[in-house]
Amino acid sequence: MIGLISYLVFFATVASILAIAVLGLNLQWGNTGLFNGGVVAFFGAGAYGTLILGSPALEGQLGGFELAYPLALTGGMVAAALLAWAVGALTLRLRHDYLAIATFGVAVAFESLMRNAEWLAGGAKGIRGFERPLRAALGDGFLYNLAFLGFVLCLLVAVYLFLERLVGSPFGRLLRAIREDEDAARSLGKRPARVRLVAFVTGSAIMGLAGGLYASFYAFVSPQDILPVLTFQIWAMLIVGGAGNNRGAIMGTVLIWGAWTGSGWALSRFAPIEAQLYTGSIQFVMIGAVIVGMLLWRPQGLFPERLVVSQSGRSN
Amino acid sequence: MPVTTKTRAGLTLGLALGLGALAPAAVAQDCTTKIGAVLPTSVDWGRPIAEVAQFAVDQVNEAGGAAGCKIEMVLRDTQVDPKVGVDAAKALVDLEGVKLLLGAVSSGVSMPILTSVTVPAGVPQFSCCSSSTAFTKLAEEGKTNGLWFRTFATTAVQSAVAAKVARDKGYKTVAVLYKNDDWGQDMARLIAADFAAVGVEVVANVAINDAQPSYRAEVTEALAAQPEALYLALYPVEGTSAVREWISLGGTQNMIVANSLKSDEFRDNVGLQYLGNTLGTDTASPRSDSADAFRTRYVERFGSEPNGPGLANSYDATMIALLAMEAAGPDASGADIAAAVPRVTDPAGTRVSADAAGFAAAKEVLAGGGTVMYDGGTGNVRFDANGDVSAPAVVWSFAEGGIDEVEYLSLDDVNGFIASLR
Amino acid sequence: MQNLVDGILTGSYISLAAIGLTLVMHILRFANFSHAELLSVGAYAALVFDKAFAAVFPIAATKLAPLSLTLALLAAIVVSMAFTGATAILIDRLVFRRVRDKGNELSMVFASFGMALVMRNLIALGFGLHSQLYSRDIAFAVILSRDPLILVKPDQVFVLGAALVLMAALHLVLTRTTFGFALRAVAENPALAQVNGVDLGRMIAATWVIAGMLAAAAGVFYGLSYQLIPIMGRDLVLPVFAATIVGGIGSVYGAVLGGFIVGIASNLALLVLPSGYSPAVPFLLILAVLILRPNGLFGEARA
Repeated sequence: MIGLISYLVFFATVASILAIAVLGLNLQWGNTGLFNGGVVAFFGAGAYGTLILGSPALEGQLGGFELAYPLALTGGMVAAALLAWAVGALTLRLRHDYLAIATFGVAVAFESLMRNAEWLAGGAKGIRGFERPLRAALGDGFLYNLAFLGFVLCLLVAVYLFLERLVGSPFGRLLRAIREDEDAARSLGKRPARVRLVAFVTGSAIMGLAGGLYASFYAFVSPQDILPVLTFQIWAMLIVGGAGNNRGAIMGTVLIWGAWTGSGWALSRFAPIEAQLYTGSIQFVMIGAVIVGMLLWRPQGLFPERLVVSQSGRSN
Repeated sequence: MPVTTKTRAGLTLGLALGLGALAPAAVAQDCTTKIGAVLPTSVDWGRPIAEVAQFAVDQVNEAGGAAGCKIEMVLRDTQVDPKVGVDAAKALVDLEGVKLLLGAVSSGVSMPILTSVTVPAGVPQFSCCSSSTAFTKLAEEGKTNGLWFRTFATTAVQSAVAAKVARDKGYKTVAVLYKNDDWGQDMARLIAADFAAVGVEVVANVAINDAQPSYRAEVTEALAAQPEALYLALYPVEGTSAVREWISLGGTQNMIVANSLKSDEFRDNVGLQYLGNTLGTDTASPRSDSADAFRTRYVERFGSEPNGPGLANSYDATMIALLAMEAAGPDASGADIAAAVPRVTDPAGTRVSADAAGFAAAKEVLAGGGTVMYDGGTGNVRFDANGDVSAPAVVWSFAEGGIDEVEYLSLDDVNGFIASLR
Repeated sequence: MQNLVDGILTGSYISLAAIGLTLVMHILRFANFSHAELLSVGAYAALVFDKAFAAVFPIAATKLAPLSLTLALLAAIVVSMAFTGATAILIDRLVFRRVRDKGNELSMVFASFGMALVMRNLIALGFGLHSQLYSRDIAFAVILSRDPLILVKPDQVFVLGAALVLMAALHLVLTRTTFGFALRAVAENPALAQVNGVDLGRMIAATWVIAGMLAAAAGVFYGLSYQLIPIMGRDLVLPVFAATIVGGIGSVYGAVLGGFIVGIASNLALLVLPSGYSPAVPFLLILAVLILRPNGLFGEARA
């Protein structure tokens, strides 16, 4: 029983961290229509930024600042935001598929840089040695994980409320207006390019926050954490949950991450022993089938976007 | 109650030890102990590593199980994705209640498992193949709590022996192709230093990235340096692709390869006729009667030589883990199992072979309060304080039937040569 | 120079695959991430047919010197193209058509992601995770010129030639037949084409067949030059997408050019950057192209 609770706490922590990243993507895609194919670059910038700022010195690589945790985490977000600003300024005038492949390229380049530049981030062996905050007080065990889950949940709720307010605000309406018809928005004197950049940078900073939490939870990050599969996972969570709907984004995360890990658990438990060696491939088939099945069943996601009439519209 | 299994186990033991050995086998049948394994079974080189771990478990069960119970290995795929591997490890520890964990292969997966699952839970982790030097550093800082073990001899041995081969062959210039991961980057750095120390110049040092459709450009770059010989620190899939390209473009067939290419798949797909001047390096079993046990049993079971990245390492990791479990006795905690590892890798202990008979013999000795020295597939494995191993080395070449041994270097030879390089 | 020649030769199979992808992306209006898996399907199907033909007609298993190609494999390519075309239609019927009826563009993209996972791992289950080859013999390169030194492999020249023939055939079909006009009409404006009596369903099926056949050819050509592994689709999907986007979505000629550009770029890249960075290079190139031409070289702005 205690084992089950301990596992669920762990699962919920990772799922909540991923949910924060999915919320960031929802701001970019669901609300603004920006097809970010390089989610993992911004997630990674947050992860690496946090650990470089927060870790003790390691031989031959940048770091050793040992900043206090909130500062390091903020620093990771800033790193993600700066990267997003540079990338956005260059690429945001591209639309859809073109933007997706351009940002995807940024993510591949980011991973290459982290893998090869040892002076910067330790190369392929990554960054280790990060001291998890308050470890001395809480130890390493269940209590720590519980406390960390609480912290992550607080941030998840904060990000959720922030985005809900943002989306309901005039700025949120502006985002949707630009998504639906950019020319019309421009004719009203709005500046779509600037607004899109703001949304892109904000969403990316939220992804960076998720990356920072992820790296500090494992006290480790390496290039293997920032492979393109993460971009795919986060997108699948958003699409299955329902783009444009923050609750859907969170539900999609739990569902997809649950299917991703639960399929492995179920196979290890129920598949015959002769088949155990093949469960890795079977598990991928199951994951693919769940995603395809969900999209066949509810193509708009579990919670489709609710297009509400604005406050002023409703009062009339 | 599976009577046949019992009889077969009894027979094996009887052959190995005489009838007296039947006693421990008889008590072991009623219960099952789960151990966990997180290995990348969806990756080409990962699946055989998992298969050989299961093979080791089967042998232990043939000898009546460990710590009084049959062993069941619960296997999870890591997908080479740290998140997935860590989650799988956590589920094994929390939901299945495993007391020891085998895995992972990639350092980038093993490390977060170690820091966020096994160390906090006090579960010992035995990795076959994680090579990163970061583990040694972590252990030196006292952050592994003595729970980390790996049967992967440090890369220093491989690179030093390769330097010896290059010097003995009289190569003056060498091009290096290395896998662009933590192991390959370590190898490339060590090779450059060790080759320089024996007067061999590395004229090109080319990273080979995973999952690239073609390595034509990388090979062309190495070829342009016109080396006398080629050094390869690659795995079979990209190794095959790169070497076929290299040979077809007229590159030299003087090659030195790391143990990861000691693979039948690589030999067959490149072609033995092009591998006549290829020498490989590997860690080796010591010269003793029991040392061949792993190879012999493996050939019996799979019909081929145990050639492939990490196979012998994975077998040894599993065997040592289960020997330690046996030594720690029933209902031991993870920390007890970790603490029992020196009792089964004691140079002064009774030597036991790497098969069911050896495991049964070890049970006898351990039950009597003695210590054993496990003669594994990778050598007589001995862990230092940081969970690292050193081992004798061998130089080998590809041959029709498998692998021929060219030269054997004892542990003292290896250490002496490494010292001469510094 | 060598890098340039290599780039052109490696570009040929990327181009073939990119043509199919660009057609699908244009006519069905979604980025099909399972397209590269059709290359794997084609390559593995050819492996099976090749073995079968060689077993039935041993004479067909002799090599056509200096190529490492056999008559059996040549026949297998043709059969495999048909097989892969049929597979592509089947997948459309089973999955994509249903998602298309109910969902939007993005649902299609992620359904294709899911299908890619399923297809790749089914191949892995069927054929094993290790690499396989059509022929184990190594075809040696011939020296084309000594100064500067240029080496080419006969197989690669064959691949380039065959790819150009297939492209020319497609060009003729698209520009000289009623069917070609209909297909282009659907691509331009599906609604208008339907009003004019073009059967949309048939055109979509035709698109899949063309895409599947070209993908199969590209897959076999790739396998002939390198090796077959179940994850080859994963390794190839990015260069193929890159080629499509650089060329401009919907432009067949753009895809051809894009394929060669990506091939050349990845080969020239190592002259300026350490090889560790090579995966990033095609994408940096795309970034550069897109900053200059936001719709690709031959693409048109599309709502």
